[in-house]
Amino acid sequence: MRMTSLRWFVQGAFLLLFLFLFLQTESKGEDTLGYPVRFFLDFDPLVFLSTLLSARVLVPGFLLSLLLVVLTIFLGRVFCGWVCPLGTIHNLTGILNRRKRPVLLPGARRWKYLVLLFLLSSSLFTAQVTGFLDPLCLLIRSLTLFLYPLFQNGLEAVFRAAAEAPVSFLAAPAEAFYTLFQRFLFAFREPHFYQAVFTGLFFGLIVGLNLLERRFWCKYLCPLGALLGLLSRKAVLKRSVGEGCTDCGRCQKACQGAAIGGDPRETIPSECLVCFDCDDLCPVGAVRFGFRGGEKGQALHLGRRAVLLSLFSGALTVPFLRVSPQSRSGLFPGKLIRPPGALDEKDFLAHCVRCGECMKVCLTNGLQPTFLEAGLEGLWTPVLVPSVGYCEYRCTLCGQVCPTGAIRPLKREDRKHVKIGTAFIDPGRCLPYAFGIPCLVCEEVCPTEVKSIWFETVRVIGREGREEPVKRPHVDPALCVGCGICEHYCPVRGEPAIRVVSTGESRSKENRLLL
Amino acid sequence: MDRRSFIRKMIIAAAAVSCPAAFSPLAASRAEPSPAPDLAVVRGPSPERIVASAVDALGGMRRFVSPGDIVVVKPNMGWDRAPEFGANTHPAVVAALVGLAVEAGAKRVKVFDHTVNDPRRCYRQSGVAAAAEAAGAEVSFVDKRKFKSVRLDGEVLKEWPLYEDILEADKIINVPVAKTHGLSTLTLALKNWMGVMGGGRWRIHQRIHESLVDVARKVKPTLTVLDAVRILTANGPQGGRLEDVKVLDTVIAGTDQVAVDSYGATLFGLRGRDLGYVRIGHETGLGNMNLESLDIRKITL
Repeated sequence: MRMTSLRWFVQGAFLLLFLFLFLQTESKGEDTLGYPVRFFLDFDPLVFLSTLLSARVLVPGFLLSLLLVVLTIFLGRVFCGWVCPLGTIHNLTGILNRRKRPVLLPGARRWKYLVLLFLLSSSLFTAQVTGFLDPLCLLIRSLTLFLYPLFQNGLEAVFRAAAEAPVSFLAAPAEAFYTLFQRFLFAFREPHFYQAVFTGLFFGLIVGLNLLERRFWCKYLCPLGALLGLLSRKAVLKRSVGEGCTDCGRCQKACQGAAIGGDPRETIPSECLVCFDCDDLCPVGAVRFGFRGGEKGQALHLGRRAVLLSLFSGALTVPFLRVSPQSRSGLFPGKLIRPPGALDEKDFLAHCVRCGECMKVCLTNGLQPTFLEAGLEGLWTPVLVPSVGYCEYRCTLCGQVCPTGAIRPLKREDRKHVKIGTAFIDPGRCLPYAFGIPCLVCEEVCPTEVKSIWFETVRVIGREGREEPVKRPHVDPALCVGCGICEHYCPVRGEPAIRVVSTGESRSKENRLLL
Repeated sequence: MDRRSFIRKMIIAAAAVSCPAAFSPLAASRAEPSPAPDLAVVRGPSPERIVASAVDALGGMRRFVSPGDIVVVKPNMGWDRAPEFGANTHPAVVAALVGLAVEAGAKRVKVFDHTVNDPRRCYRQSGVAAAAEAAGAEVSFVDKRKFKSVRLDGEVLKEWPLYEDILEADKIINVPVAKTHGLSTLTLALKNWMGVMGGGRWRIHQRIHESLVDVARKVKPTLTVLDAVRILTANGPQGGRLEDVKVLDTVIAGTDQVAVDSYGATLFGLRGRDLGYVRIGHETGLGNMNLESLDIRKITL
């Protein structure tokens, strides 16, 4: 078998594994998922490194990422060429591009190192912005928030249209397909996300760059590729060109990285994805890959000015991200309800890589990406929006899938004591208060063992002058955990008559309500 | 009833009547056939056996389910709670009824509930889905496309989306659990019909008693089995504390859902008339809440 065929096979297998784990990031009713769904993120040394710098902690999966580091030191950027699911997507999209020559000058390969330095410098100054550009975070986020909802809602619309079509022969196959998709490919609850458009555009742009040049992202922009590139400068698995080379230049054009410079005999190890394309392509069989050590790694010339600029702009980004008042201590945006187990806001932002795993796994679709609720620094971090979905009282899945510990994994017993906010009744809208009409849905659905909502029976005088007993709900702020199920099911729609705000969240020492 | 099913039922009835008494399993088990009571209240340690005994006392499952029937067994499994907390119908009670219906020749037995908490967790954590499936039921999650608006012409609800499977079932067995409820005081059999309602079902709390009777009038169960193996005496309908759970090891079975609920009220020290929906159900002729006028057979195993 040719090596490129083997590579395509391996790439496909990893992409399928990645998608399989993505689909498994969903509850089946058990307390745990049963699959290590954040597997790929655990292998990501960039997530490890940036969290180490920004939050000064080791992420839970750091041993696996060290494994990738070791592997890369020996074998080079095999992860990029053989494993990375985003790389494979680039590889596939690149097929559409028939352009032969790279459009950018070889010097552009430096960009990604500058991107990496920029991100790590921000991390060092405690702003965790790596997740925006880390390929795995970017891919999982784009899948969760945009591609998967588009896939499911789009197909459901097609099936619905077929079922309701004026011709009846479409209904049966549509139903059969619907059942099949629902069983194997669709999310249990059709996903809808705020910010889907923006995350989708971002993803589209990055994938679209392949039309400009194949693997544009991997060659010039990817910060993980840059990190792995730095590690592979002395890799022992190397490309070499033998005697027969005719300078035909095919390998230069075909190179998936930007690894072959002006002389086709020379290879830049940090740019080589070990894809074997040049080996298979060489008409005279001069290209070989083999294990050879002992050679001195090539120096990386980024330019002192560019490096300093990256480091400075990375550092300067931190105050820029924090220019909005959300970053001021003592200010707690009410709508900023973080998932149970989330760290205190400052710490949380230092951890969260916005991979979207928590939003994917959320039972009710209630975890949504923020826009500017948490300031620019908090863009696309998870926030509970009870009108979309409440926080299921006994569920701890978001903490289980979080790759950085921004949301701590909670034990079932501890979960009960975690308060993410407090519900407040709006008497101007609540039926018993405003109109003397019975309701108490909030009390019925309240999940705490002793109900956090109690009622007072009041005798009210109606329009006709008759006295009627009415039960009015009250929130017990000592018991309410802020799950938002009351807000979610409140029959007063639009602006519910009971609403949860972050007040009293147990992750914060300051945002307390009671003494 | 269409002509075909009428003929089929006539043939079955004729066969049953002409069946020699010696071969009838019903007749064989009892010395002299007595008329079925209105309610059977059975107490005993095994949920399966008290259910079987209660159904038997009412004349056996064959009285309620005919061969070839599509049967819905409707439990309350609306909450993400384990069985011991009494928030959902006991899985063994549901499974026993499914088993009896299958035995009686039901073609399909469907089990579902329009849950309040996440359906996956409710089905799994209540233990009902697994137990019912093992007993031969088709357990499925509610498919939102299957809520069909139907005319109720009730006191309050004129029209409401109800679940297709309930509307199309040949026979319906209601198997609620007895527990407290803030607004309606108790949730028993009639309240369980909220689990077949779609639409903005939380609005019915504004006139919950009338609304529940309006829906119950449409649904018409052939049999109601109230699960009081464990009852939830406070913080219902969801509970979560074992000290709020009282173990009664009892089921109450009957064909009149108002009568079942009226008896259910007594488990909590109340009378049927204390519950608005029982009183209204009685007054509007849905059923009889006067326990004194009912033939109640109490059995202890």
